Amino acid sequence: MRTLLNPALRFVAIGIVLYGLLGYAAERLTLAVGHSNPIFKILAASEVNYDWVILGASHAMPLDFDGFGARLERETGHRILNLGSLGTGPLYNRFVLDVFLRKHRAGSLLYIVDAFSFRSSAWNEERFSDVKLVRGAPLDRDVASLLLRYVREDGIPAYAALDYLTLFSKINNRDRFAQDTWEGERQFDRIYRPSPAMVRKRIDYLYPEPPNRVISERYLASFEALIDAARQRGMTVTVVRMPLPPDFRRALPDESSFDAELARRLAQRGTPFHDFASALDDPRYFFDTDHLNRQGAEAFLDCCLRPILAPGRPQAVQAR
Amino acid sequence: MLFTSLGFYVFLAGTLAVFALLPPAFRWFWLLGASAFFYGASNPGNLAFLAGVTLVVLFTAWLLKRARTPFVRRASLAFGLSVIVGALAAFKYFDTAMQSVVGVLAADSSLRAALGGWHLPTAPAGFSFYTFAAASYLIDVARGRIAAPASAGHAAAYLAWFPKLLAGPIDRATNFLPQIAKPLSPDPGGFVLGLELIAFGLFKKAVIADNLAPLVDRVYGIPAFASPVELALSVYFFAFQIYCDFSGYTDIALGISLLFGVRLAENFRRPYLSLSVREFWGERWHISLSQWFRDYLYVPLGGSRTGRGRMYLNLMFVFVVSGLWHAGLGYGVGWTFLAWGALNGAYHCIGTAARPLWSKLEVSWPSAWNSTGVRLARVLVTFHLIAIGWVFFRARSVADALLVLKRLATRALDLPGLIWHYPFTTDHWLGIGLIALLIAVEWADEKRSIFARLASYPVAVRWAACYLLLAALAILGRWQSREFIYMQF
Repeated sequence: MRTLLNPALRFVAIGIVLYGLLGYAAERLTLAVGHSNPIFKILAASEVNYDWVILGASHAMPLDFDGFGARLERETGHRILNLGSLGTGPLYNRFVLDVFLRKHRAGSLLYIVDAFSFRSSAWNEERFSDVKLVRGAPLDRDVASLLLRYVREDGIPAYAALDYLTLFSKINNRDRFAQDTWEGERQFDRIYRPSPAMVRKRIDYLYPEPPNRVISERYLASFEALIDAARQRGMTVTVVRMPLPPDFRRALPDESSFDAELARRLAQRGTPFHDFASALDDPRYFFDTDHLNRQGAEAFLDCCLRPILAPGRPQAVQAR
Repeated sequence: MLFTSLGFYVFLAGTLAVFALLPPAFRWFWLLGASAFFYGASNPGNLAFLAGVTLVVLFTAWLLKRARTPFVRRASLAFGLSVIVGALAAFKYFDTAMQSVVGVLAADSSLRAALGGWHLPTAPAGFSFYTFAAASYLIDVARGRIAAPASAGHAAAYLAWFPKLLAGPIDRATNFLPQIAKPLSPDPGGFVLGLELIAFGLFKKAVIADNLAPLVDRVYGIPAFASPVELALSVYFFAFQIYCDFSGYTDIALGISLLFGVRLAENFRRPYLSLSVREFWGERWHISLSQWFRDYLYVPLGGSRTGRGRMYLNLMFVFVVSGLWHAGLGYGVGWTFLAWGALNGAYHCIGTAARPLWSKLEVSWPSAWNSTGVRLARVLVTFHLIAIGWVFFRARSVADALLVLKRLATRALDLPGLIWHYPFTTDHWLGIGLIALLIAVEWADEKRSIFARLASYPVAVRWAACYLLLAALAILGRWQSREFIYMQF
């Protein structure tokens, strides 16, 4: 068996070089097709200083769909970086904020809050190892070291860091040539036709586990740590619940007790909390069961968001 | 632990490292412990099933060793076999049978309510395989082919051997025990071949089978909604999906065994190049199971030594039992497996009945009969017969299977025109390309083993082929923990 050792070492060495070349090509592709991944957005950001950073799960994403983010900046006169990402809870968003704060600054943080993301590790620890999120994040030393810290301190799966560092999900990406966009963005102009079956399916998906006080407590603590981290960097924090269609809102399990607990904690910290869940009660404002379409995003901006992002800014100035 | 998971390869590397450090005489013991860890890692309860079967085997073998009369010997064997095969049948069918019974009872029946609460625990992955290995061991002991028991530890290691534990091959104790009885020491050639087999098996599973699977699943999910082209594609794709899934597992199992110096029996021999259904089942597909049924069921029933009518009955019986054995493997327990077994049994009987005619044709026109064209036609006819059988294997119900076949039959003449206009996706082309590559490799392998060919090439060519294979695994493989079809009980 000893006769195999030298050829084996040569084989592995050449293999590592070839793998490195594959990884390099995959990384170049990631940079070329990157679009909605929050880590990609941070690393590709043209500015160092922003007025607002938006965090949250998919409900935050329509505010940056198809040029809407640029419109938001134009109308509020602020530099805004929307880092919302699909299915991510407070733990993942805290990680995104930590990455952001390594090289960037922002005056304010707008957190789009969703109860479901506090209910399961599926929206927190497990999101770190979702290949779609890993493969969209360009390789960066700071991100890698933060990821390793989260492995040590927050119990995220070690293979998430391994995957990120080895570039495997990027090499193995089936959609390597397609722009890294959530399909929701392509439906931004669609109008939702209410469907009880779709709502039921969506709720089952968002709430894979029954309510569990211990789990909710863990992610509420993570959320509070996120707010503290932002405040330590001098950011003001505002928490917002996005509008939801009435049929979807009614189907949410155990929502009122969670809202009460969240409001209580935010009030204790003096953090403003705006619940706009029932602000737009018409399904025509949504492209699916629970995400704003273009019309809904515009209506939401007019009714609710503008006073938060640019208080006192008159409409005429905004239009200009 | 799946062969396609990173965790398994960490386990394998650790097992190999300790194996290499141990004195050869003690290595089998380490491998027994590693096998137990492997099986219990996902659910420690799995070990109770394995330990139960092992204890029954050891006890029965002990009884057989002490049996002084043929009657006691037969009774001991009957005891062991009925416990093992009975457990297999009970775990496979009890819940389904009970549901059927409950289903026919009146809605308000108290008996219905009482029976509805009866359940057996679900047997773990691999149970079908190691119970068959256990049964073959006992029969071989009873027939005097194995000294009973050569060593209890060796017998336990034979049943628990982790590379084959979940989905075979159902290696015979007569092949396995002599190897493990000697100090285990892998040779360099076998080690390299083992690594090549693992890589090739992973390619078949993660690259071919798992890239075909989503296309097949979509069509078989609601076959009534699929177009004729989609149905045709899914029939062809499933034939290759199941082959690559199962033979990929076997290649990996053979490869891992070679790393430890153990040679398991060959289980697949390019089955889709068979010239007849008889050749497919007898010599090329899941060989270890076919031989099991031949040696432990067909021959004891009288085999072909009885009259023609009885022989056909025996053949049908063996295939129906084979169908029942497959029930629960991946696609639930249902009549589809019975239909699949019966259909293949019918093929086999018709083929056997027509054999004199084929022989006459071969004698009358030997050059035409053995020409490439005729051989290719025979391969294609055999493949299509088998593929039709797979429709029953994969469909969720006999009605679904018949729907697929009926729609294909009624639109068969339109298919060429429909294919021309079908919007093939990248995934379709990838699947077609991978199947074409597989056929080319198997065709070459039929003439001379691809691994033997590789070994004869210069190092640069050999390594380039290996790097290409590994690159394909990294670029095209699907690694999202899709189970092997045949390991799901």
